[in-house]
Amino acid sequence: MSASVSGEIKAEPNLTPLLDVVFQLITFFMLCINFSQENFDSRVRLPVSGSAKPVEAESATGAPEDRLVLNIDRQGHLLMLGKTMGIEDAIKQIKTEAKLIKENFEIAGKKVDPAKGLPTTVVVRGDRDTHFTELFQLITACQANGFRKFEFKAMSSEE
Amino acid sequence: MKKSKEAEVEIQITPMLDMAFQLLTFFIMTYHPAPSEVQFGMNLLPAQPSINMNEPISTADASNSDVPVGLKTLPTTIHAAGGGDIARITLEANEIPDVKALDQELKKIAADIEKKELLYEQVLITVDPQLKYSELIKVIDVFTRNKLTKLSFAELTDAGA
Repeated sequence: MSASVSGEIKAEPNLTPLLDVVFQLITFFMLCINFSQENFDSRVRLPVSGSAKPVEAESATGAPEDRLVLNIDRQGHLLMLGKTMGIEDAIKQIKTEAKLIKENFEIAGKKVDPAKGLPTTVVVRGDRDTHFTELFQLITACQANGFRKFEFKAMSSEE
Repeated sequence: MKKSKEAEVEIQITPMLDMAFQLLTFFIMTYHPAPSEVQFGMNLLPAQPSINMNEPISTADASNSDVPVGLKTLPTTIHAAGGGDIARITLEANEIPDVKALDQELKKIAADIEKKELLYEQVLITVDPQLKYSELIKVIDVFTRNKLTKLSFAELTDAGA
């Protein structure tokens, strides 16, 4: 036997269980990654509300709802497409978004009922310190461009 | 040494373990637990003509399609203090000091609506331009809790104040 000849004892730790644990941890973190947060801006500190409904990712039909996310910082600027927009630019942007949505619907062969408005939901993620005046201007701009469905976001508890 | 035809194949686990640790480190560093967000969903229509909830429905107006018949409205005005917090709330003609008192009042109104003693088609919330979004959410929260969900918003002007 070579061990007895050389006097060396070969000690090889079994790494397989360690690898198993590491892979389980990786699986856990991969599953926990929330890709849907790409539209959410961490600069916006949402207010806290107790009785609002949890976020539903899909509509009643099972299809994911079309959403236009408006992140509004405490100064009332719209944070969209990596830009910080003042009210005038924000209103122009909302108009452009509405036009694109209408065109997409026309291309898809769907009709937008003017009475019901656009089927897209406007998600309002306002900072807790945003003043109503800026918020109202953006909401009015959305309404003027045919948006009717709104969602006001809040946190269920303090982070 | 034994004369054996068996070839011993050892898979090197160490590089795989290194890679797994690197992946693990990446996920740990980028992991940010999703904050539990909630929402108030509503259909917001542009400003509609409004009439008082207690007014009887005018048949003359209803027969004439040219005259817009107003929606039976529960008018609410929120006045802001200097810091953007709620200073006082006016519900119809009643002055209410805070959100808690508003909740009590709305409970009574919601009960009347359920008993069909009141007909309501919208709640028009006229808000001080300086009111903070967090305070507005508190008000929306109270209305939603009392099942008064047909909300619409208007901005309080100097004339309205």
